[in-house]
Amino acid sequence: MPDFRGEIRSRLVDVGLSAVRENAIVEELSQHLEQEYARVLSHGASEEEARLTTLEELQNPDLLGPELKRVESPVAQSPVVLGGGRATTMIGDLGQDLRYGLRMLLRSPAFTSIAVLALALGIGANTAIFSVVNAVLLQPLPFRNPDQLVIIWENATHLGFPKNTPSPANFLDWQRQSTVFSGMAAMAPKNFNLTGSGEPERLDGRRVSANLFDVLGVQPRLGRGFLPQDDTPGAHVVLLSNGLWQRRFGADPRVIGQPVNLNGESCTVIGVMPPGIQLPGFDNWQDQLWVPLAFSSEEAAQRGNHFLEVIARRKPGVALQQARAEMDTVAAQLAKQYPEENLRIGAVVNQLRDEFVGDIRPALLVLLGAVGFVLLIACANVANLLLARAAARQKEIALRLALGANRSRLTRQFLTESMLLALLGGAAGLFLAFVGLDVLKHFIPDGISQADSIMIDARVLGFTAIIAIATGFVFGLAPALQASRFSLNETLKEGGRDAAGGGKGARVRDLLVIAEVAVSFVLLIGAGLLINSFVHLRNLDPGFRPDHLLTAKIEMSELKYPDREHRLPFLDEILRRVRALPGVQSAAIAGNLPLTYNGDSMYIGVEGVPDPPPDQQMDVIYRAVGPGYFNTMQIPLLQGRDFNDQDTTAETSYKVIVSEKLAQHFWPGKNPIGKRLKSGSTTAEGPWREVVGVVKDVRQNDFIAPPKMQMYLSYRQLKALAPNALVVRTTIDPLSLAGELRNAVWAVDKDQPVSNIDSMEHIVAGAVARQRFTALLLGIFATVALLLAAVGIYGVLSYSVAQRTREIGIRMALGAQRSEVLRMTVMQGLKLVGLGLVLGLGAAFLLTRVMVSLLFGTSTTDPLTFFGISLLLLAVALLASFIPALRATRVDPMIALRAQ
Amino acid sequence: MSAQLDRELKKGSAELLILSLLQDRPRHGYEIGRLIELRSRGALRFNVASLYPLLYRLEKRNWIRGRWTEKAGQRRRRYYRLTPAGKNMLARQRVGWLEFVEAIRLITGIKHA
Repeated sequence: MPDFRGEIRSRLVDVGLSAVRENAIVEELSQHLEQEYARVLSHGASEEEARLTTLEELQNPDLLGPELKRVESPVAQSPVVLGGGRATTMIGDLGQDLRYGLRMLLRSPAFTSIAVLALALGIGANTAIFSVVNAVLLQPLPFRNPDQLVIIWENATHLGFPKNTPSPANFLDWQRQSTVFSGMAAMAPKNFNLTGSGEPERLDGRRVSANLFDVLGVQPRLGRGFLPQDDTPGAHVVLLSNGLWQRRFGADPRVIGQPVNLNGESCTVIGVMPPGIQLPGFDNWQDQLWVPLAFSSEEAAQRGNHFLEVIARRKPGVALQQARAEMDTVAAQLAKQYPEENLRIGAVVNQLRDEFVGDIRPALLVLLGAVGFVLLIACANVANLLLARAAARQKEIALRLALGANRSRLTRQFLTESMLLALLGGAAGLFLAFVGLDVLKHFIPDGISQADSIMIDARVLGFTAIIAIATGFVFGLAPALQASRFSLNETLKEGGRDAAGGGKGARVRDLLVIAEVAVSFVLLIGAGLLINSFVHLRNLDPGFRPDHLLTAKIEMSELKYPDREHRLPFLDEILRRVRALPGVQSAAIAGNLPLTYNGDSMYIGVEGVPDPPPDQQMDVIYRAVGPGYFNTMQIPLLQGRDFNDQDTTAETSYKVIVSEKLAQHFWPGKNPIGKRLKSGSTTAEGPWREVVGVVKDVRQNDFIAPPKMQMYLSYRQLKALAPNALVVRTTIDPLSLAGELRNAVWAVDKDQPVSNIDSMEHIVAGAVARQRFTALLLGIFATVALLLAAVGIYGVLSYSVAQRTREIGIRMALGAQRSEVLRMTVMQGLKLVGLGLVLGLGAAFLLTRVMVSLLFGTSTTDPLTFFGISLLLLAVALLASFIPALRATRVDPMIALRAQ
Repeated sequence: MSAQLDRELKKGSAELLILSLLQDRPRHGYEIGRLIELRSRGALRFNVASLYPLLYRLEKRNWIRGRWTEKAGQRRRRYYRLTPAGKNMLARQRVGWLEFVEAIRLITGIKHA
């Protein structure tokens, strides 16, 4: 029987049928011809005659090909061959690709979930950090044209205050003499005791210039703002924050015009400000109300008393540089005019936004870079998985190509699958970010402005979408190109064995692993350095023992307790009651505990030491404390004694206790006990104070910087300064005493607010919250990176072992020992890791430089960190290589050989 | 008769012929071709090159449906059966054809033998 299929096929060449359709037609027609041939033969024709007669069936004026072409072409009814379609549209293709891609992903759930998880980690971390960056760095401040707003400081760098709070007289002169601003306003923080209806409350607030809210461009939501005539002593008006209005006044609009009792004085509520007003200031300071600044004439003349914050709005068209230049001139003028107070005092003009962002910016940028790296590693991992999978899908690809799929269409199909993965990863990442942000918010240090507005908004969603799509391209392109580029012939020749598994594909995968190791090494180093710094910080000696200390603020009303004679009995009674509480070991009163306040410093004059010129005076932090303070805080007394009841209020018996550093500065090598000093200078008025004790330096204002000189005065010997804090050393969990402490105070005065009840340990932790935040996050990201890299190493080696089963089998058949196979495989992994380490080492040396400002007590090239991290990475890599290697040793030579 | 006319005539009638042959039962292509030749006593004959494109066209119009069918001990073959739409069409074409033949007869005066 002759074979007619060739004849039929030759006539179908130009029809452009799909292979499946063509095969069906050839089969059907050849059957027809064979039957006809048999019939002709049975009529007595010779075989050749029969063959020729039969072939005439294919001859016709209507050629089979053209006829079929007309029938078959308009809408192909052939079965779906992905990539084989001709007349379909892009959109149709896309739908098809999507459906097919989804099917492929569902068919290998393990692959899909690993890939989606890796991507979700990468994208989720990016989304979370970006939403923080978005809120803190990118969102405009809630003021009109916020870019025009600047904050102006006095520059007293030579005294250790590069950004000093301006004095009232200087502020007023700046306001009068500058021309580049459309408005300049000052403010000063102030605490208010709100009494009357309900529990007494201590509130953060500010005295502000009447024009402050005009400068900021914020209108009250209710009532009116301050008028110029309000800015005079005795105006007694107050603006409420939205939060206070809602919480304390039940959002009652009738509060306007009503009196409220602030610090024992009646003030009239004139307006309520809109929500979201935040002014730069101290950590933990949340403005709840505002009163006019209302300088008294005495206050307005003060040039040496620095306590204001100044905000100004640049006129339209005035550049920051111009504003700075003018303020320099103004400050120079004032320095010449008032050398006594202003010698070498300049002015610093900064964008308000930068002031808000503060020192968190470098940390956030480092974190953003870190999560970018994590995402890159995740991409490399998924790309690796896809490459290995593409290798495993050789047969499918070969089949599709054989069935007439074109390569660009195949590439598109693969990219569509990657995109699907990326979008799934993006969705899962978004979910992770939602959950993660809730956790993250707990670790965001207090005082980072706009931390409350951290959320996943449209911009964050857009960012996530973009990185998801970009991610899909990044990890999808290489496998897609590889898949489409592979040679059909080779694959067929190799009998369907993996073409991408050896040679080029393997090289790409190796490179990806090397890159992963390098990038995770950089991240690990970064995290290691930060954690190292953090440990250094936590090991800093604060100068006191923070455990088992309960602290509280008791801000006394100036009306009720205007002077020492009223204050002392009140404080004594509180102490008596608190000390009697069970679980209390000791208690003391102080003005501003360590790490809760940034101010209170003065110049001093020391008997027998010539006063330095004004620009070389040394600033001394002072605190008003009572007897028992050092014992309660466990600040070691190095010399002399504590304050005691013999220290009377008579000026002649005024005493002072100084810090080690102060003693060494003024009386090096001498006994400081018995020496005398006074505030201001030796020629200033006021009593001399005799040094009775020397205590260890305490990290008073700033936890991180080395302690400055300090001195302690007895509040019993201070007329003006009222102490405001209570500190209690307990034998039990300090916070468990919070309620009893409050009741003890209220038993003495039911109107006395007790606020900021906190453990000292928490306060100390808060002082390093930023460092903890960055170290913790970078640590998490680096761990994720390490895990991803480990998975990458594991994946590549597992795949390679699976591919080399035959080779390993032969080696073992030829007498290779299991240990040799183990070593060979592990070495293969370690070679990649080693290369990655070398690359990472170089990159880390370069990249960790950006972290200088985040590090403490650690250099960016800390050898211990570099060494430790290298070891860690090697150990993890060893583990990741060991598992596949162990599998390789279990290869049974016979099975391996037979398998091929 | 020119080849052109012959072709058109055949095509017009061929659809009717095929649909008619499939009325009783499914048949494969060779059988259809043979039956046309036999029943027309050799006057009408479709070779492979014209029969199959026709079958495929009818199939595409959803008048007939081909299906690969295996019978014990034989190679699988493609059998065509009439679809409901095909049955419909067959009835309509029959009427049309009869009207056409009647019209020719009226004009030409040809009578049935």
